[in-house]
Formats: sequence, structure tokens, C-alpha cells
Amino acid sequence: MYWALARLSFQRQLAYRTANVAGLVTNLFFGALRAYVLIALFGAREAVAGYDVRAAVTYTGITQAMLSFLAAFGWWEIIRSVRTGQVATDLSRPVDFFWYHASQDGGRALAQLLLRGLPLIALYALAYRIAVPPTPLHWLALPLSLALGLLISFAWRFLVNLTAFWTVDAMGIGRVASNLVLFLSGFIMPLAFFPDWAQAGLRFLPFASMVNAPVEVYLGVVQGPALVLTLLLQALWAVVLVLLSRVVLAAGVRRLVVQGG
Amino acid sequence: MNTLRLYSVLLGARLRSQMQYRGSFLLDLLGTMLGTLTYFLALAAVISRFGGIGGWTLWEVAFLYGLAETSFGLMDLVWGGYDYDFFSPRIRSGEFDQMLLRPLPLPLQILTSEFALRRLGRIAQGLAIFALSAHLSGVDWTAAKLLYLPVVIASSMAFFAALYVVGSTVCFWTIERLEVFNLLTYGGAEMLSYPMHIYHPWLTRFFTFVVPAAIQVYYPALYFLGKPDLTGMPGFMSFLAPFTGFGCLALSFAFWRFGVRHYQSTGT
Repeated sequence: MYWALARLSFQRQLAYRTANVAGLVTNLFFGALRAYVLIALFGAREAVAGYDVRAAVTYTGITQAMLSFLAAFGWWEIIRSVRTGQVATDLSRPVDFFWYHASQDGGRALAQLLLRGLPLIALYALAYRIAVPPTPLHWLALPLSLALGLLISFAWRFLVNLTAFWTVDAMGIGRVASNLVLFLSGFIMPLAFFPDWAQAGLRFLPFASMVNAPVEVYLGVVQGPALVLTLLLQALWAVVLVLLSRVVLAAGVRRLVVQGG
Repeated sequence: MNTLRLYSVLLGARLRSQMQYRGSFLLDLLGTMLGTLTYFLALAAVISRFGGIGGWTLWEVAFLYGLAETSFGLMDLVWGGYDYDFFSPRIRSGEFDQMLLRPLPLPLQILTSEFALRRLGRIAQGLAIFALSAHLSGVDWTAAKLLYLPVVIASSMAFFAALYVVGSTVCFWTIERLEVFNLLTYGGAEMLSYPMHIYHPWLTRFFTFVVPAAIQVYYPALYFLGKPDLTGMPGFMSFLAPFTGFGCLALSFAFWRFGVRHYQSTGT
């Protein structure tokens, strides 16, 4: 059932071909801008905070590749459905409301990864000497870390969307929230380059587990015990946010008033 | 004079309607401010950790950033109606056809169709960063520089407005907005936040000779800051901003009039 929802959502993405190409060009352009900035920042330096220039350039490519995968600029399905009243139908379906949206988001994300993420990395590999995961262990950990990052990101977006059950300003809250995520997750600049005092806090927030963690797994910045800890922290946040989503959803459904029509 | 009065009446109506929902308005203001402020914080954190970029200090980069943000923000407030993100739906829905029929000047209607006060959030943070950097980067403010500054801001606004007008005109044919224009507007604004010599020479040349964004912000900033030019351009480049800015705006309106003459409605 959920599998079918994910597949349908996956196929829907394949229909928007020109939009995907345009998006790819945009990602590539912004990625290249950030790469120039990081190269200039490094100047003659060999390595900073465990990153060499090559890792830093790769970072810009992977974060751009993950933008559409994580729908980082916004995902307002539930806010919209509350506005139109569609949410009443969705809630009365014989499927779990959380997983109904989560499975569709999974299909959407996988399609974005294949259509925009992988081609972007391939183009990056042509333009720059990019880094690849250093050991087979990192290769194995990568899909796991990406999947956990997606689940955390989805649960967070789901929670933000649920504010629509309480307020008509959910869209404004959503915009504030997605701007915070872009900053706190390390989309704009690698968290490793932030001041030490800021990093100490940021690394433990769920936002770092969405973006910074998978990228550092890919780059091999985290190794051995640190790798395991990174994945464990991601798993912890995934569990916490999924549980929280369910609690808030239950409270929201009691509260929700749908206007007829 | 009559046009000016009409403009203020239409604008007044738009502003009053926005102030009806004070909570939403404040939230939107906060969102707009956070979006750009967090970007600057990330930039500031990293540049101070690395101790500068390409020979520029943090506050010199902040000067570029503040100048670009303030100009873009002010333009976005005044010219929001020509933002292709808002304009293309008006073509699709047939609202533009109604505008053509009304006995009011067309640009007046479009300019007042979208005037979002929440953009003040972006302008405020741009101005604050600019004011800080104008002080902390150690600019030697002479009378000539103080006179030239408003000219640079006005020309940059004209230039960014030209991008909006061209982007909207293209919608007459494409109906849908073209995402590629975001590369020029948002991409251009992000690119202008850093000294141009860090980019590939071709990228710098493109944003100088084809889309003269660098002439609007980067080269004038060299003059204000007294920094040497590392892109190998002659010194007068710092003073071309008003010509390219208003030149682009004039050209874009010529294109706009051509577009309106050849406009065929979608029929909805």
C-alpha cells in the first residue's frame, strides 16, 4: 500500500522533465559560485577543520544535489490540504496519515535524487576533481545516512505543516522554518567552518543530522567511532521526531475544524 | 502630477489591506529578515574563521553585501509588480487583459499590483550591515564619495528592475516564468556579495559585459573602499554604474513595449 503510494509519487516526478533540467542548471550554477568562494577562502591553506579544498568543493556539490532531495525550499502539502479542505478526505482514508505523506515524500525524494542529484554529481565530477567516500564502510553507511536524513527532514517538515491545524499563518511559519534549516543544517556553509562555540551546539541539533551528517559520511570526515556516533545521533533524532509528529498529529486532529466545501 | 496622485491612492489601498493582518505581517517580516540575515551570518562566521577572502576583510565583503542587498531590497519593494514570479500568474489568469482595458497607465497598475511591506525586513538588514561595514571597513568618506553613493544605489535599483522587466516581458511568449532568470537575479545578487576576482574570468566578464551586474556594485565599491582592482579593468569602470543601470532600464522598457504590442492573450 505505502509502497504503491511511493511508486506513484516517484512516477509523477518523472513527468516534469524541463523543470528538472532547469533546476539542475540552477543547482549547478549556485554550486559553482559556492565552490569559487570556498576555493578563495582556502587560498594557499592545505586543510581546515578536517577539510581540504577538494572536500570543500565536493561539499558544495553534494549540498546542491541534496536541496531538491530534502525539499529544502519548502514543502507545503498539508498546509495546502488544510486550506482546500482536502485534509478531511486524507484523514479519513484507511491509511495512517503520517505514513501516507511520508511514503509519497520518499518516492518524490528518490526521483529527485536520481533526476537531479546524481546528474549534478556527475557534472561536478567532470568539472572538478571531487572526493569520493574513502572506504567501503563509508559507501555502505552513505545510503543509510541519507535515508535517515530524509526521514528527519520529512518529520520536521510534517511538524511545521501541522501548525496549519492551529493557525492560518502556517505558511509564514513555514518560511521562517525553512530559512532556519538552510542555515543551521550546513546548506549555506559547512558547519565545520563555523566558530567552535557555535558548532558545539549546532552539531547536536536535528538540522545537522539532515544535511551535515550525510555529507560528512560521504567525505569520510567522520571515521571509526565518530561514524557510528553520527549514525546513532541521526537514528535518535529520526525516532524522536517521528514520535513527536504522531503526538502533535493526534492533538491537532482533535483540534482541527474543517470548513465545509 | 495626476499620475503621482493616482500612484499614492493605489499604493495606500494596497498598504491598508496588508496592515489588516498584523500578526501575519510581522511573521512575514521576520521570515524575510531571517532568510537574508542567516545567509550573512554564515558568510561572516566562515570569513572570520579564515581571516578574509582573496585579500578582502570581512567588513569589506560586508560592504559589497550590504550595498547589493540594500539596492536589491529597495528595488524589490518598489518594482515587486514586475517580479516575474507574480507577473506570470497574471498573464495566465487573464488579469493582465483587464489591466490593458482599464483607463489607467499600465506601468502604474503593475507597480501597485504588488507592493509587499514585508520586504522592509530585507532592506532593514541590508542597511544595517551596510552602515556597520561603511564604518568598520575604514572607508575614507569624502564629499565626492558621499555624493556618489545615492547615485550608485539608484543605478543598481534601475539595473535590477531591468532584470525584472525583461523577465516579465518574456512571459508574454512563454506564459510560464523562466527559472533561468533566477540565476541572474538571485544568483547575481549572491555573486555580488564577494569580490569578483575570486571567480573564473569568464564568469566575471559575463557579469560585466553581458549582464553588467559587477559594474553596478563591485567596481563602485572598489572606489569607495579604495581597493585595487584585480580583474584588470581600467579605473573608470567604477563610474559607469549610472549609464549601464539606467541604460539597461531604458532598453528593458523598449523590449516591454515591443512585448505588449505583440501580446496575445491566453484566452482565459
